[in-house]
Amino acid sequence: MSATNLATPVLTSPSRGRGRGLLRTLLGTPLGIAAVTSVAIVLLLALLAPVIWGDAADAYHTDALRQGPSAEHLAGTDSLGRDILLRVLVATRLSVGLALGATAIAVVLGLLLGTLPAVAGRRVGRLVAAAIDVAVAFPALLLAIFFAVIFGVGEVGTMVALGVAGGPWFARLTLTLSASVAARDFVAAARVNGVSRGRILLRHVLPNIGEPLAINATLGAALNLLAFAGLSFLGIGVQAPSYDWGRLLNEGLNGIYVNPWAAIAPGVAIVLAGLAFNLTGELAAQVIGRRTREKAPREPLPGIAGAAASATAPALPVATHGGGDDGRETLLDVRDLWVRFPSAGRWVAPVRGVDLRLHAGESVGVVGESGSGKSLTALAIAQLLQEPAAVSSQTLRFDGRDLRASSARQTRAALADSLAMIFQDPMSSLNPAMRVGPQLAEVATAHHGASRRSALAQAVEQLAAVRIPDPERRAHQYPHEFSGGMRQRAMIGIGLMGTPRLLIADEPTTALDVTVQRQVLELLSAVRAEADSALLLISHDIAVVAGMCERVVVMYAGVVVEDLPVAELLAGPRHPYTRALLAALPDMETPRERPLATIPGRPPAPAELTGGCPFAARCAFASDRCREQEPPLASLADTGAGHRVACWHPQAGAVGAADVKSEPETETEAQR
Amino acid sequence: MSVLELRGLTVSYGHGAGAHRAVDAVDLTVPAGEIVGLVGESGSGKSTLGKAAVGLVAPSGGEILLDGEDALRRRRRGERRPIQMVFQDPYSSLNPRMTIGEAIGEGMRGAGGRASRRAEVARLLELVRLDPALAGRLPSDLSGGQRQRIAVARALAARPDVIIADEITSALDVSVQGALLNLVRELQRQLGLSLLFISHNLAVVRYVSDAIAVMRDGRIVEQGPTERLLAHPTDPYTRTLLESVPRFAPVTEVPR
Repeated sequence: MSATNLATPVLTSPSRGRGRGLLRTLLGTPLGIAAVTSVAIVLLLALLAPVIWGDAADAYHTDALRQGPSAEHLAGTDSLGRDILLRVLVATRLSVGLALGATAIAVVLGLLLGTLPAVAGRRVGRLVAAAIDVAVAFPALLLAIFFAVIFGVGEVGTMVALGVAGGPWFARLTLTLSASVAARDFVAAARVNGVSRGRILLRHVLPNIGEPLAINATLGAALNLLAFAGLSFLGIGVQAPSYDWGRLLNEGLNGIYVNPWAAIAPGVAIVLAGLAFNLTGELAAQVIGRRTREKAPREPLPGIAGAAASATAPALPVATHGGGDDGRETLLDVRDLWVRFPSAGRWVAPVRGVDLRLHAGESVGVVGESGSGKSLTALAIAQLLQEPAAVSSQTLRFDGRDLRASSARQTRAALADSLAMIFQDPMSSLNPAMRVGPQLAEVATAHHGASRRSALAQAVEQLAAVRIPDPERRAHQYPHEFSGGMRQRAMIGIGLMGTPRLLIADEPTTALDVTVQRQVLELLSAVRAEADSALLLISHDIAVVAGMCERVVVMYAGVVVEDLPVAELLAGPRHPYTRALLAALPDMETPRERPLATIPGRPPAPAELTGGCPFAARCAFASDRCREQEPPLASLADTGAGHRVACWHPQAGAVGAADVKSEPETETEAQR
Repeated sequence: MSVLELRGLTVSYGHGAGAHRAVDAVDLTVPAGEIVGLVGESGSGKSTLGKAAVGLVAPSGGEILLDGEDALRRRRRGERRPIQMVFQDPYSSLNPRMTIGEAIGEGMRGAGGRASRRAEVARLLELVRLDPALAGRLPSDLSGGQRQRIAVARALAARPDVIIADEITSALDVSVQGALLNLVRELQRQLGLSLLFISHNLAVVRYVSDAIAVMRDGRIVEQGPTERLLAHPTDPYTRTLLESVPRFAPVTEVPR
């Protein structure tokens, strides 16, 4: 999984982890411990207080009617001389019990109603869903009062009323959550297998919506606690001689000028108990929403101090760095770039010491599999990585400016003009609520101080330049009215609104169809040539890169394993990984009778690196040295300075079947 | 071995004037024990066609025949499902709360007691070259390639005659894709399955398929044996598609 999609919303990831993990994570923070402990205390009080203090709370002290706080009665007494504090403690059971009861009714009712559409079939389902929508539109408290009148005033009647009033809300939640689960392929697979609707609901849908439902039930309990107190206060809920916090509050309010504590004590109880439930629910929701997000470990970041010290050190001789020293101006110079993320209390490094140089106007492709660190490298160069990622490097110079030395704001201002980034999914990088024209114009007004009118004219011009037909009309449309290919062109248009010296395109055509991909790639190379911008093209598709770039950088497990001119990629690369990758890629000439070449195993996760060559375990040529010592990236005796390989046993010649290790019989190890 | 025939298959979404025909009167035959590749771009209707063939989408017209009989009408609860499907995204096609063994076991019909079910799960895992000990694990313990093999094993659990493979390698990395393609081809031959292989990747379709059908805007624009269709495409769209396949040659010309 790539580290770029860190935050996941609650609704789409009800599947992560199990309940026990949730509690453990909750207890990992001081606030979480406080929340869980206070809920535990409230529940414990609800269980034990009536047993311990039940009789004492009902005892009349005729000698002490309506008294203020004293050593004997800490919160004073009521009109019959009963101890207020004890009554508040004893009332916990009724208050919390009724709130939980109402919540339970609401959840059960909601589950029944919300899952009915999934079980009953389309027509009934639609009716139920419509009914739920109507019911949700009524304010719950109003409904509760209405139902309380129907079910009769009193504690049970009010509990049922609150529960029934909350039902539609939980039904809607269940409906939404199960709809998102039902849309996933494993439910489709179960349907293909003829699994019954009921079983799909029980085995596939409910287990995957349990966590968010439980959290919302906790939040609902807090709300019901307040609602019940309110209803009892109004005289609808609990009736004398029973008492809950709302009723105590009501009674206390009568004598507030004599003993304010008679009203304050139950009020405080309501607030504290409500807070405890609410906080627990909110924290649990946060934990589920961002489970992958980790706090920075205490262990210091390795190598940071050294890198900072060497910031002023003289640059390394150019010759050791390859890239062909043909007198062209160096536009981007990245040396020893590291990207680290916290994981399980340690730092792991998905990018480990990447060197990358681009000349002005040069096009370089970065290829690698998912998890190779190629996208992180691009994001780190563009200064787009945020907490908790830690980026360090020996050199990070772009267009003559040290990106590490200047402040964030300065860097952003400098980069905004001269560096453009194009992402994989144009739908998520264009603002869906803004017309396309103004989105392009924004660049001109923000960075070049153009007037609105001239900026819009520039935008239309730019849309025409990226070959969008009828640009005048298109400029007034929203992104959703564009096709995928057109959106990507508009994105390229935005990137080229300034005068970028470098375009970073991260999988710009992966989401597009092949015919559209070709058009977008051709457009990209044409406009790039016109503006004389350099291009850093990140892609998993080695064929796309070969067609677009002068030079290819191959990444594997966070390091550059080979850096070579495209011509040599076609003639025969030197690193076994590059060669295996080419051998495994089926093209239009692959012989159909023979099995495809494969690379056994999988790339190591950053935490699994042992110090040797990361490809050793999957390599057909690996020796003991490979497993012990990581090879440096350097040019070979028989390659030019522009071709660098990180390998102890570089290969040569055309790529063939010998370049792949034979597949093991079965895969035994799991991912972790 | 069984023949899957689609005759005049039509799937429409919406009603009246706004209706959209995602699949428009398609005739397609997957001969017994052969692999037919279905290529097309997004929105061409190829996935909808696959879903209709397994009964996930109700066709609005036409027939789906398995060995000459209506494939969907004869289905009853608890009966074996002879047409199975492997989905595109192995991260979405396995229930994160169900163990591998449970997921595979769900498709089994009449496998008897618990022990025989467990043995059958182990056999299927070995068939897709995975360690049978993985049966007790959750999908989150597995890599994408391993998950996709589980999805294949689950499809095989129902002992199907026909498998619809919908973009089964497009979520996988190149180094993993090859192993899955080899496996699918091998199993297809070994078990005599008929396979409809849906993909947007022409190079992959070419490699696995005996015949290819090209789909566009809900219709099949051209179909024929793989070698012939690729060597002598007659439809202009097929030609465009062939030309668009990225190759190892620098882009030289820039169209205006």
